[in-house]
Amino acid sequence: MDRREFLKLAAITGAGLSIPNGLNTVMNTLEASEKIDLVVAHGVSPTEIIRAAIDALGRMKKFVSRGDIVVIKPNIGWDRLPEQAANTNPEVVATVVKLCYESGAKKVKVFDRPCNDPRRCYKQSGIADAATAAGAEVSYIDDRKFKDVKIPNGLAIKSWPLYTELLEADKIINVPIAKHHGLSKLTLSMKNWMGVMGGSRNKIHQRLDESLVDLATVIKPNLTILDAVRILTANGPQGGNIEDVKKLNMVIAGIDQVAIDSYGATLFGMKGSDLGYVRIADKAGLGRMDLSKLKIKRINI
Amino acid sequence: MQNLRRISQGIFLLIFLFLFLQTESKGEDELGYPVKIFLDFDPLIFFTTLFSAHAVAGAFYFSLIIIILTIIFGKVFCGWICPLGTLNNMIGYLRKKSINEASRDWYRMKYYILIFLIVSSLFTLQLVGIMDPLSLLIRSFSVSVFPLFNYSIRTVFDILYDLNIRGLVDILESLYSILKKSVLSFQQPFYYQSVFIGILFFLVLGLNLVERRFWCRYLCPLGALLGILSRYSLLKRSVSEGCTSCEACASVCQGNAAPDKRENWRNTECFYCWNCDDVCPENAVSFGFATKRAAAAMDLGRRRVIVSMLSGAGAVPLLRTAPLSRSGFSNPKLIRPPGSLEEKEFLKRCVKCGECMKVCITNGLQPTLLEAGLEGIWSPLLIPKIGYCEYRCTLCGQVCPTGAIKKLAIKEKVKVKIGLAMIDKGRCLPYAHATPCIVCEEVCPTPKKAIWFENAKVKDRDGKEFVIKQPRIDLELCIGCGICETKCPVVDMPAIYVTSIGESRSKKNQLLLS
Repeated sequence: MDRREFLKLAAITGAGLSIPNGLNTVMNTLEASEKIDLVVAHGVSPTEIIRAAIDALGRMKKFVSRGDIVVIKPNIGWDRLPEQAANTNPEVVATVVKLCYESGAKKVKVFDRPCNDPRRCYKQSGIADAATAAGAEVSYIDDRKFKDVKIPNGLAIKSWPLYTELLEADKIINVPIAKHHGLSKLTLSMKNWMGVMGGSRNKIHQRLDESLVDLATVIKPNLTILDAVRILTANGPQGGNIEDVKKLNMVIAGIDQVAIDSYGATLFGMKGSDLGYVRIADKAGLGRMDLSKLKIKRINI
Repeated sequence: MQNLRRISQGIFLLIFLFLFLQTESKGEDELGYPVKIFLDFDPLIFFTTLFSAHAVAGAFYFSLIIIILTIIFGKVFCGWICPLGTLNNMIGYLRKKSINEASRDWYRMKYYILIFLIVSSLFTLQLVGIMDPLSLLIRSFSVSVFPLFNYSIRTVFDILYDLNIRGLVDILESLYSILKKSVLSFQQPFYYQSVFIGILFFLVLGLNLVERRFWCRYLCPLGALLGILSRYSLLKRSVSEGCTSCEACASVCQGNAAPDKRENWRNTECFYCWNCDDVCPENAVSFGFATKRAAAAMDLGRRRVIVSMLSGAGAVPLLRTAPLSRSGFSNPKLIRPPGSLEEKEFLKRCVKCGECMKVCITNGLQPTLLEAGLEGIWSPLLIPKIGYCEYRCTLCGQVCPTGAIKKLAIKEKVKVKIGLAMIDKGRCLPYAHATPCIVCEEVCPTPKKAIWFENAKVKDRDGKEFVIKQPRIDLELCIGCGICETKCPVVDMPAIYVTSIGESRSKKNQLLLS
């Protein structure tokens, strides 16, 4: 036992003695301090793999503090059922809501600006019911609550109306689902932010990759959990055909959206660099796409 | 009795308004309330649909209850139940009372209207919805009154929200959210005919200022039908010897039924409102069951009846000689809701009640003006530029009272074509301007997308070659839902649009070989 190890042990023991039940917390915090970039958790229970993944990143307390107002942004874009994998898995959303409250969040808000009718999307996706049951405030987008946000270094968009409830939140957690997409090839975490764009957001498809990167310069989630419990491999982003759905029983958690999207690409047999927006974001220094340089922890439950 | 009647009117009006508000999606596949039940109880629609389409919607047997009720108790429907009658009753109070109200001798008019409607329905022309009080009321509420109400409330709250008065915002916002959950619609509805239909409706209400319950007394064809049925109703009014001919009853009579005329009282006009009984200073008026006739004979005049019948019959060929009635002639803009019957059958059933427009989740269902001919005025058509047909929504078929739009299970509905999409290459970004855009493909809801891409090599201004995805439409898969048109970024005149060709309900309006 060298000096460093001794000190570490002493610190743990000391902390452990002062907070008898906190031993695990401290252990995990210390472990996390070794800087894990991504956690890839695999298992049949979405709830368990999310808990394990967040614990591995340093527990939810690292991301959500007592009294925080947290926005959780799932993908609720389509009038589809959970098994069709067009929206974030409802159990995934509900678990993240619960974790936030366990960490002392004052309020957890869940919303999205869907493409189909919002009422059907919220209901049929199962997300409204699951998140409400977990205690979240689930609301429809209110058109009055968009505010023009400047994007100083915008490549394609210089300013765009974004949802104020997101901008005003203390903490932001992105909970997208991994899906095929006709233009961007895949929609993962960076593209999920289209759901807080106001105005005629359809126009950004003219320069989609650049626009998504522009968005990432102004929206900085504290945590991202990519839902790959089921992924949609074709006819995305809304699917509808069960044969296009693949059950992976997986979530990928981390802070760096670019890294997560880069890993997400591998689920579809692609590389991060195959995705334009990942490439540009990496180059712009918004995150890292080179998976070989990332510390990735894999958990199997 | 007067108070009892008012309570009954109030209850039915509230039920009507409650069901009206429930005619809106909450995200479930079904609405959960029998929102069209007032129409189910309407015997006028029952008869005209039976005559024009030789069909009876199952729920319409409810209207037999009204028929039986009328045969026993007289026109209690008008006096105690009808929500439009109640509204007329209420508005009537705004009229300054004049004791010697020169009531008009026009009550026969509604019978001529009824005869016209019945005879034309015998010749397959279903025009009843224009005048049927319940269709008129629901249509006017859906298309005009409710949008107006929403617009007013929303504007007030929007202005207050923008003022952002400290301390007041939270209170106002919570009040607003309560209103949104209770009486406001999910989103502000807009309709092309809101002004026209609104003016007609307010005219009907305004006529009460000319004479109380003008509509009910002189125009309402359902009132006329019930009047005929009440001709031999068992509940009769009798006036005892104590009557001093003070004519107090005449001034309070809602139906202009000449209660002061004793034996010549027009029982077919009586709403059984009991006002004459309540007001009589001698307590000489009473209602009781009797088989003896104590009322004036109904004389409509043979010539006028014949004229009404002839006009009813004549209206049929008159309306059917427009080109739209020609076999194989289709209006490309006439996109009917999914599950709609073939056009001729559709028109025989549709009563233009506006239920489908009220319930349409995207506001895309709009009342026609002349797109379906005069015969089809105010029937529903989808205008995708306003709203598309939601892939997994079946609500319009659920609320249609006459089966003009069939009730479909989701599985069947998603297979129904209501038209086909076509691309305007002169406006489409990837075609005309070599600019990427995939919105139509992205939103296309069929499990195997009806819109697919062809990778085309194009050159920019400097001659640099690159590959762009150009959307193409698989006409076998396209169901014409119109979401591509709704969401097309070329917002003023979409570069992809749906027309009625290929609609499943038509044999002739087809494009594909198979």
